[in-house]
Parts: sequence; structure tokens; C-alpha cells
Amino acid sequence: MALIEYALFALAVICLTALTKSHRLMSVLSLIHVLSCFLLIYSVLSTPVFPKYYIDENFMIDYLSVYEILIASTVFLLVVIYRKDYLENLLARGFLNKNNLALVYAAMNSLLLVIILSFSSNNLALLWIFAELTTLFSALMIAVMNSQKNIDAALKYVFISSTVMVFTFIGLVLLFTETEKTLGAGTLNWSALMENAKNLDPHVLITAYAFIFLGFAAKAGIAPFHTALPHAYSKAPSSVSTVLSAVVLNIGLFAILRIYSIMRETGSAAAASNILLFYGMLSIVIGSLSMLHQKNTRKLIAFSSVENSGLMLIGIGISTPAALFWVLLHTLAYSLTKASLFLSTGILHNQYLSNKVENIKAALQVQPFASAALIIGTAAIIGIPPFLPFTTKFSILAEIAKYSVFLLIPVLGFILITYAGFAVVLTEAFTRDSEEEKPGDLKKYRAPLGLKAPIVLLLLVILFLGLYTPKELIDLIWNITRTLYR
Amino acid sequence: MIDAIPIPGIIQAILVLIMITGALIVTRKDLLSLLSMYRLQSLLLMFLALVLYAESGNYVLLQMAVLTLASKVLLIPYIIRRMQKEINISKDISFHYISPAYSLFITVALIFFSYYSLSKTLNELTDNKLFYLGAVFGISLALMGMMVTFSRKKIVTKTIGYLMMENGALIFSIFITELPFLIEVLIIIDLVILVLLAAILAVGMDSSIEEFQAKLERIKHPARNGGTH
Repeated sequence: MALIEYALFALAVICLTALTKSHRLMSVLSLIHVLSCFLLIYSVLSTPVFPKYYIDENFMIDYLSVYEILIASTVFLLVVIYRKDYLENLLARGFLNKNNLALVYAAMNSLLLVIILSFSSNNLALLWIFAELTTLFSALMIAVMNSQKNIDAALKYVFISSTVMVFTFIGLVLLFTETEKTLGAGTLNWSALMENAKNLDPHVLITAYAFIFLGFAAKAGIAPFHTALPHAYSKAPSSVSTVLSAVVLNIGLFAILRIYSIMRETGSAAAASNILLFYGMLSIVIGSLSMLHQKNTRKLIAFSSVENSGLMLIGIGISTPAALFWVLLHTLAYSLTKASLFLSTGILHNQYLSNKVENIKAALQVQPFASAALIIGTAAIIGIPPFLPFTTKFSILAEIAKYSVFLLIPVLGFILITYAGFAVVLTEAFTRDSEEEKPGDLKKYRAPLGLKAPIVLLLLVILFLGLYTPKELIDLIWNITRTLYR
Repeated sequence: MIDAIPIPGIIQAILVLIMITGALIVTRKDLLSLLSMYRLQSLLLMFLALVLYAESGNYVLLQMAVLTLASKVLLIPYIIRRMQKEINISKDISFHYISPAYSLFITVALIFFSYYSLSKTLNELTDNKLFYLGAVFGISLALMGMMVTFSRKKIVTKTIGYLMMENGALIFSIFITELPFLIEVLIIIDLVILVLLAAILAVGMDSSIEEFQAKLERIKHPARNGGTH
């Protein structure tokens, strides 16, 4: 299956989900769509020619695309399993209108399609447009719940993200002009830019890069463009915030990585690296400090995302192949762990109808599974062994230490603050019993297997990968590193 | 690239007129005139593309002019007008942080800022004066649009701010280069989806959920419900 066949197939699925009225059929169609993404990767990898180019080299699937699509498809697969029962519950309680169900599924499938197209874009302008489309479909899914606060959160998400993305357009125009001037014919194809990076004017490139970076930084949840994320994550249905945080955020980092790898070949490499280090540090500071006074579990995870994006940006900015290797592995580790956290908060939300700590009462007795999953997931995300994020976070820090101890000390200090943020919220949520009601008085929400299985799977995968990282995965990531950092 | 073109006064005049519409969008409260200003700005943008086409004979510019007319002069204002009727507001008096007078002052500052911050990079790319003017005005217009988006409260105004930002980016791009036509089309599709989404959400913001559903039905089936056109 080639990319074009996949895109046509996905469009057919989107149309069918929009037309059908059966929830089961919508869910099955979405499942088939996700499986077709795996098929796409399989067929690309099984052909001798690699990377694969499509439509005048405007699209390309290389190792980085394969890796990102695999992460996205895995998260989507688990979300599809989780979503049916989760949405049934929202429908039963009136949080979601039955007429909007087809819209939810059509939007989710459209989002998956534009995500795959973003990761397969060789042309940076196409990447920009598809990334922008992910914002719009995400906003639609945030807004679909029966609440004005959701609409408010969705609008904030759209306006902040889209507005900053206009600067990326300006940067792309500058880049295009420079290639037109230097190479004779203008191009925005990443592979062509990598080939010719050394010939391009570093001064123009650094200006273009600064503009392009801004828009994608907003997409990656980098401070100070992160302000819409906490609202969006806390208001969206749990299945949606999982996708937003574990997949859509990666598009921003993916794009930054692509642009930075071009800059690394030019005379402005040091300046480009400094921009990453600056915004990385800013995100770590703002993300970790904001976690300290959080009273909402999902906002807490959102700010942890900001802090982690910052850490990954620094990892990219220090510019060594080893650091990039760990950043890439951390992308996988962090995406899966965050997904498990958001899915666990979904079960707690079904019980308490809130993500606020003050409303979570006697959780260990009433929802032992979700509580345990949230605690284990948190342990994994802050980097406690033997989970995969421990290895990746520790190794990134080790690489930062090699680069500069003066950078390591503040990074480490602020990471410790995030531990405090998590500790405060979890202690408050799980050690307090209800004063008015005994645990037995609370009407217990029985989470079906469809909600629990994806969480267990995610936690098992990050545990397994923490203990044993398969050679194929390591080879894939080294291949990406070699392609990006020549 | 339009390096070879002598500086035609008409292009400068259109650019100045576009900046005036930008300044009016920054300061106006009346939503209807905001929309008219945007429409006028897009129309001027279309003329700009046409004049540049007449000068350079570049076919992409003609395509862009047609695309601008269809989307920004006709379709997008129509959607916004419809949204305005649904939510029935005529004024956005809530200037969040800055008053109209200050907005204008900031606008002037933004133009100077764009001029100085871009001068080095633009020098590397060309020495054409018209190029400077177009690029600087384009960036300034984009920054003014951003100011409107972040400083005003109503969704209609925010949307127009965003659209103005995009117009600015487009002016910048046509003075510097010609992007492939496919990209231009995709940008417009993106813009239309954004406006549609903002319109649907604005209707939702303005009403309770039951009303929202009813209004949404009315937008979907105007004839059946006797809705407004």
C-alpha cells in the first residue's frame, strides 16, 4: 500500500463514518483505518527502495516518518479500543450528544489522516499546512462536548496555534526565496534542502529558521506558546487529550527536528542551537513552576508535557548524535506514558465527573485500578526505574552534562520541582478520604475491560522497553540519527 | 520575483490603501464595518496581484487574484456575515488590554520594528525598494492582525484579526516569491476550514447547549427552518 492509496482509503473511511449511524460500525471502521497505517509502514519497509518518495518528491517516508507514524498508530490503536466504551458512557450521561457521534469519529479519522500526511511531508510548506489542519480537527474534537467551557478551550487552542503558525509561513517564504536565488529553482523539499544547505546564505537561513520555529514551537507545546494546552487537555474527552498530547505534540518536535537538521549543516548552526536551548530552558522553567500550584490532574500532565518538550528541545539543541538518539527514544517513551496517564484520568473522570483534585475522594477504594494506573504512570513519567522514561531521561541528562554542567544544574533543579508538583497532587488526591461520604456510599463507576486493557498494555510496553530495548528499535533510531545529523 | 519591474506608483498606492484598511480594522468597534474593511482589504490584495500580473505576466499571480476574489472577497465574508447574524452582535467594544488610540500607536511602532528587524535579511535577498516596502508592509499587517487577535474579545474580531494576519503574510510572499499554486490553494482551504470552525464555535459560545443545537440545525438546513440567508 502506497501513501496515495492509504490517503484515498482514509478519505473513504472518513466519509463512511460520517454517514453511518451505528456506533459499532464507526468504531470498526476507525480500527481498520488505524490498521491500514501499520500496513502502510509494512509495505514501505518491505520495498527495496528507501526512503520512498511520492508526488514529485513532495511527500517522503524515511526512517523518521516511519518511527513517528508507528508511535502515532500505536497510540491511535489503543485509543480506538478505549474510545467506544468511553464515548458510550459520555452519551449515557448526556455529556455528548448522540447526533455528534459521527462528527467525533469523522474528526478523529481526519486527524489521523492529516497526522500521517504531516509525518510523510517532504515539502515543508505541506508539513505546515497539514500541521495547521491537525489544529483545526483537534479543536473540533475538543469542542464537541456539551459544554461552553469546551468551546472556549477549543477557540483558544485554534487562535493561539494558528496565529503563531502564520509566522512559520513567513519563514517558509524567506527560505523558498533563498533557494530560488541560490539554486535557481525554489524548493521547500527537506531532502533537497539538506543536500544544498551548505550553499545557502546563513544569515537569511537563521531568520527563516527563527520564524519557522515559532509556529512549530506552538505546536510542540513550547513556552511561551503553550498557554492553550492545559485548558484544551483538561476540557477535551480523555481519548482526545491522549491523542493531542501523545501524537499531535510530536508533529511540532518532528518539524523542529527537520528544520534544525538543515540548519546544522550551515554556518548558522550555533545560533540555531542557541534558540533551541533558550526556548527549551524557558519551557522547563515555566512548565515545572506551573506544576507546583496545579489542582487539576490533566493540567498537571499538560504542564509536565511543556517541561518535557523543553527537555527534548535542549536534547536536540546540544546537537550530538547520542543526545538525538535519546531524544527520539524519549519521544516514544513519553508518548506512551502520557497516553496511559490521560486514559487513567478518563476513568477517574467518569467516576467523579471532574479532574480537580478536590473532587477526587477515596479513589483507592472506589477506583483502585485507575488510581494504581495513575500512580504507576506518574512513577514512570518522572523517571523512576525500570520504566523506559527513566533510561531516556537519565541519558539525555547525561548528554547535557557532557555539553555543559552549567546547563545541567538548572535543568536538574527544575526537573526536581516537577517531582514535587506530581507528589503534591497525587498525595492530595489519593490520601484523603471523603468527609461527608464513606467510600461505600459513593456510586461506583465500573470501568469496562475496553477502558482498562489499553492502559495495562501501555504500562506493560514501557516496562518491557525499559528492561529490554529490541535491536530493531535501536537500529531504526540510529538510522534516523544518521539521516538527520550527517 | 519582481526585480525587473520599475517602481510603479499604483502598487505603492494599493499598499498604502491596504495599510489604511489595516489601521481601521485595528481601531474600529463596529463589526459590520470591520468585515467590510476586511473585504476591501482582500479586494485591494486582488488588485495588487492583478497589477503585478500585468507587470510580470506571471500566471500564478492571476490564479492568486481569482482565488483571493472567490475566497476572501466572497466566501469567507459570507460565512462571517452569517455567523454575525446568528449571534446577533454588532459591536465589539471590549478592547481587552489596549485602547484604539494606543492600538494605532503600536501599529506605527510595529511598522518601524518590521522595517529595522528585516532590513538585514532583506538586503541579502534583494536591493529592490518596492520589495522592501511590500515585505515590510506585509509583516506589519501580519503583526497588526496578531494584535487584533490577542487584544480583542469577540470571536468575530479575533477571526478577522487572524484573516488580516494571513493577508499580511500573503502580501509578504507575493513581493518576495511565487509559491507553488498547490500551496496557495491548500492555504485557502485551511483558512476556510478555520473560519467555518470559528463560526460554528462562535454560535455555540453565544448560546446555551440546547439553543446551540437548534442554531446548528438552522445553519445546516436554512430552508427547512426558515433560517436567515
